[in-house]
Amino acid sequence: MPTTVVLGVIGSDAHVVGVTILERALEGAEFDVINLGVQSSQAEFVDAAAAHDAEAILVSSLYGHAEQDCAGLHDRLEDAGVDAVTYIGGNLSVGQDDFEKTRATFETLGFDRVFDPESGPTEAIAALRRDLQLNATESERLRVSS
Amino acid sequence: MVRDERLASDELRRIDESVRGTYPTGDEVDFEDALAFHDSLAPEKSFATVLESATGPLLQPRAGVARLDEQIDLLAFLHERGGADLLPTTIDSYTRDNEYGKASTGLERTRETGADALNGFPAVNHGVEGCRELITSVDAPIEVRHGTPDARLLAAITLAGGFQSFEGGPISYNIPYTKRGNLAETIEHWQFVDRLAGLYTEHGVRINREPFGPLTGTLVPPSIAIAIMVIEGLLAATQGVRSLTLGYGQVGNVVQDVAALRALRALGEEYLPDEVTVTTVFHEWMGGFPPDEARANGVIGLGAVTAAIARPDKVITKSPQEFQGVPTKEANAAGLRTTRQLMDMAMEQRLDIDGIEAERDLIERETRCLIDAVFEHGDGDVAAGTVRAFETGALDVPFAPSESANGACLPARDDDGRVRLFDPGDLALDDELVEIHAARLERRAETEDRSTSFHMVADDVDAISNGRLIGRPTDADGSGGVSDAD
Repeated sequence: MPTTVVLGVIGSDAHVVGVTILERALEGAEFDVINLGVQSSQAEFVDAAAAHDAEAILVSSLYGHAEQDCAGLHDRLEDAGVDAVTYIGGNLSVGQDDFEKTRATFETLGFDRVFDPESGPTEAIAALRRDLQLNATESERLRVSS
Repeated sequence: MVRDERLASDELRRIDESVRGTYPTGDEVDFEDALAFHDSLAPEKSFATVLESATGPLLQPRAGVARLDEQIDLLAFLHERGGADLLPTTIDSYTRDNEYGKASTGLERTRETGADALNGFPAVNHGVEGCRELITSVDAPIEVRHGTPDARLLAAITLAGGFQSFEGGPISYNIPYTKRGNLAETIEHWQFVDRLAGLYTEHGVRINREPFGPLTGTLVPPSIAIAIMVIEGLLAATQGVRSLTLGYGQVGNVVQDVAALRALRALGEEYLPDEVTVTTVFHEWMGGFPPDEARANGVIGLGAVTAAIARPDKVITKSPQEFQGVPTKEANAAGLRTTRQLMDMAMEQRLDIDGIEAERDLIERETRCLIDAVFEHGDGDVAAGTVRAFETGALDVPFAPSESANGACLPARDDDGRVRLFDPGDLALDDELVEIHAARLERRAETEDRSTSFHMVADDVDAISNGRLIGRPTDADGSGGVSDAD
């Protein structure tokens, strides 16, 4: 059975390109993807994850307001009975901050993994496979052996 | 259906009152008092006059922080240490979403902790008086730069606050900037903004308006950007705007960029009424930057050389810290100085490059197809035609998040790095033009020994940050940046 992941750009952010490419990559890796698109509220993430019984929630933010936008998200997920791994990635603070500090901030908020802006879709997919104990797809095994 | 007609004065007054009632600082706006404030400003702060009388490209950065005193210091620094000719005030993303309460929270948090919690200047929260303090404290013209689909309150406050240039437009600040924005409604909102600018203009305060040319900032084919600039220019002119700066964002192929800037100026002057003064602005690369300041300076430098050849009226510069978000003021000033050095050296020599006129001819043919389609969709009315053309996809923008766009066209670079249409979607282009694009991409596919597919698009999106122009497959990863996709 395919694994369902919820994907979206949180808050007032309209950066669409990364999430579009990530959606295609996840679909190519045979995940069922619910892409909420840009400017998605916490409630939209929670509702989609609950409605589709998602195993992972991938939050994207490029404009620097992520901390204010994500505060309280994990409490709402818990209240809604959502048991999913949560990742966040992008440009997560306004200035030129040290990434390890940013990572700690978002781990404290409750995210399982925090990705810097250099991370590509392959890293997110590899992490999902590790965290959800999934195997590589048939087509990828064929590609490796060909 | 929305029509391209001038907003009547009673309608303007009615909207103005209702919009100003949506946030307490709206009460501070008084038109007569605003005219008196503009009249009191020194001539070197008159944005339109400075831009339109310049003899070479002027440089302008992007910059906005939450607090007023910090914004004053930042702009003074960019003017004095970066040599910026024109200054910006970039508005934060909550304000762009009309979330003034959230902007207020971010501003308070910034004041308490000293760390910036907003990615720009919340001008509505600072109000008319805050804006005027900024305008009086800085010795150069300042533009409001943002990304707000419904910018009516922001315009009312900032224009009363002394700003004389206002970025944006109904397509360029809807289609790339919002998911739920209704295009017809957004056009009405911008008719108000443009009418307000027109009213100031009629009273002797010439407000410069600047549609946002780069759109989604990601591999936008030049003809799409230019068609949208002309349409927004026409809509603004109807409302009385007389100073228009049409924009275009660097794609990184020098021939295509120079050709596009020449086409933008020529078509802007051809389509817009004679009483409008048309200027052009070139945006340095708006896509993903290299995660390395030295390499980022290379991207900025290529933009500067392109500007030297094409001679736009204005260049919006990038900083070497673009990769990681909002730059320090030092890095922002460095981007200005890097641009100035390269541009000035390149402008003192003759640089002849083959192919510019042929590429310009292609861009102009495509642009005319798109503009014609808009007029046809609206039975001659550009406002109604724009809404319908976006509905059918006759006009479209790659990677558009907006529900008002078809979002079906996809770009990729050809073998020379020029942006072409990998998938034209339903764009209203002649078959012959579509075939030219397909043939160019086919040639690249042969070079790379792979079929044209979404892999190329994804690889091209990452190419410049990875150190190249074109997203060629690498040995390590035969299918590029999205190895799992198909």
